[in-house]
Amino acid sequence: MTSLQNKVTELFENGTINLLIGFKEAIHKLPVPCFIDNVSQVEQLIFTPSCKGNLSVYLHKTEVKQAKKVGILANTATLRAIVQLVSENQLGDIEKTVITLNTNGELVVFATMDELEAYVQANFPELSEEDKKLLDQLNAMSRTERWQYWTEQFSACVKCYACRAVCPMCYCSSCTVEGNQPQWIKVSSETTGNLEWHTMRAMHLGGRCINCGECGRICPVGIPVHMLTVKMNQDIEAEFGAKTGFSVKNGYALNSFKPGDKEQFIK
Amino acid sequence: MDFEPKIVAFVCNWCTYAGADLAGTSRTKYATNVSIIRFPCTGRIDFMLLMKAFENGADGIIVSGCHPNDCHYTSGNFHARRRWIVFRSLLDFMGFDTDRITFSWVSAAEGTKWAGLVDETTEKIREKGPFTEFKKLDYSILEKIENDVVTE
Repeated sequence: MTSLQNKVTELFENGTINLLIGFKEAIHKLPVPCFIDNVSQVEQLIFTPSCKGNLSVYLHKTEVKQAKKVGILANTATLRAIVQLVSENQLGDIEKTVITLNTNGELVVFATMDELEAYVQANFPELSEEDKKLLDQLNAMSRTERWQYWTEQFSACVKCYACRAVCPMCYCSSCTVEGNQPQWIKVSSETTGNLEWHTMRAMHLGGRCINCGECGRICPVGIPVHMLTVKMNQDIEAEFGAKTGFSVKNGYALNSFKPGDKEQFIK
Repeated sequence: MDFEPKIVAFVCNWCTYAGADLAGTSRTKYATNVSIIRFPCTGRIDFMLLMKAFENGADGIIVSGCHPNDCHYTSGNFHARRRWIVFRSLLDFMGFDTDRITFSWVSAAEGTKWAGLVDETTEKIREKGPFTEFKKLDYSILEKIENDVVTE
C-alpha cells in the first residue's frame, strides 16, 4: 500500500473521518473522483500531479454534509477553494481533514483551518503561463477583434452548464438560468443568450472565483470561459485590493464598498 | 428614414427620477428618445436588466442615480458603483461597446444636467448608429425588431 493509502486507513481506523473524497484510476489511466466510506475500498485510491480535478465541488453537497467527518484529497486549487468556501460560511458543520501533496511530492495533512490557510498563503500561485499568454493576447486585441473572438467562442456554447456543475463556488440551490419568471437566460443555445449566460456567470463569480480553471478545462467545446473570471479577479484585486481564496476572513468584494472607490467613467 | 436611437434610462427613484421630473416641470426641452425606467435605488439595477434592454432593441443605455453620499438608503449607490466598475471592465474585455452605456450621477436638483445628459447621449448614439453589432448576433431579435417597425 502507498503512503497515502496507509494514511487514509489510519484516519478511518481512529475515527477522524467517515467519508473520503478522492481519486481513483478509470479507463486509460484517467483519474476520476471516488467516494470511500470504509477501509476495504482504500486500495483504489491514487493521488498524483495528474489529479487535476477540484474535489471541493462535492463538499457542499447534502450527502457529503451528512457524513459530518469528511476527508478530501486536495490539489493547490482545491485548498484555495476550501479557504474561500469557509470564508463564505458554506462548510459550517463539516469536520474537514484535508490531504494535499506539497511541492516535493510529500503528503501533508491539515488538521485545522489555520494550518491550511497558512499553507495556502505561503504557496499562492501565479497565473499559469498558458493563461497569461491568452490574457495578454486578448488585451492586445482591439475592441472589435475581442468582440469577434468572444462571439465566435460563445456561438459554439451548447449550454450544457458543465462550467457551472464543476465550479466549487456555484453552490446556489436555484440558479438564475433555471428561473423562468422572468426568463433571464434563453433555454435554447444561440449567441445572444450564450453571451448573457457567460456574462452572468462571470459577474456572479467575480471576486469569488479562485482561478482553478476547471470551467475552461471541462468545457466540451473548448471555450476558455475561465478567462472572464481571471480578468474580473485581476480588476477586483487592482481596484479594491481583494484577493480570493487567500484568507478565511476574505469577505466578498462586491458586497462591500469604500466611499473612496475610484472610477473615471461616471459623469 | 433617419435613424432615431432608442435609449433606455435606468434611474433611481430618489434622485435622478426626481431630477428628470424637475426637467419636465421646468419645461426644459430635451431629446424624446429616452424611455425612463424607475428603480427604488441604483443598488437594484441588476446588470442583467441592461443586457435585456440591449436584447430588446435598445441602442444606448443611461444608468443614473444619487451622487455618492446622497443615497436614500445610505450605501446603495456605493455598492452599485463597485459593480459598475467590474461590469464595465468585463464587457470591455468581451469586446462589448461600453460607450453605449452612459453612467452618471444626477441629483434631484439637477434637471438641467439630466436634460443635457440625455441630449448628449442621444447625439453620441445617433453618431454611432444602430447597435447592429449586437442585434445581428441573433436573427430572432432582428426579426422581432423589424416586425415592430412594421406594426408601428
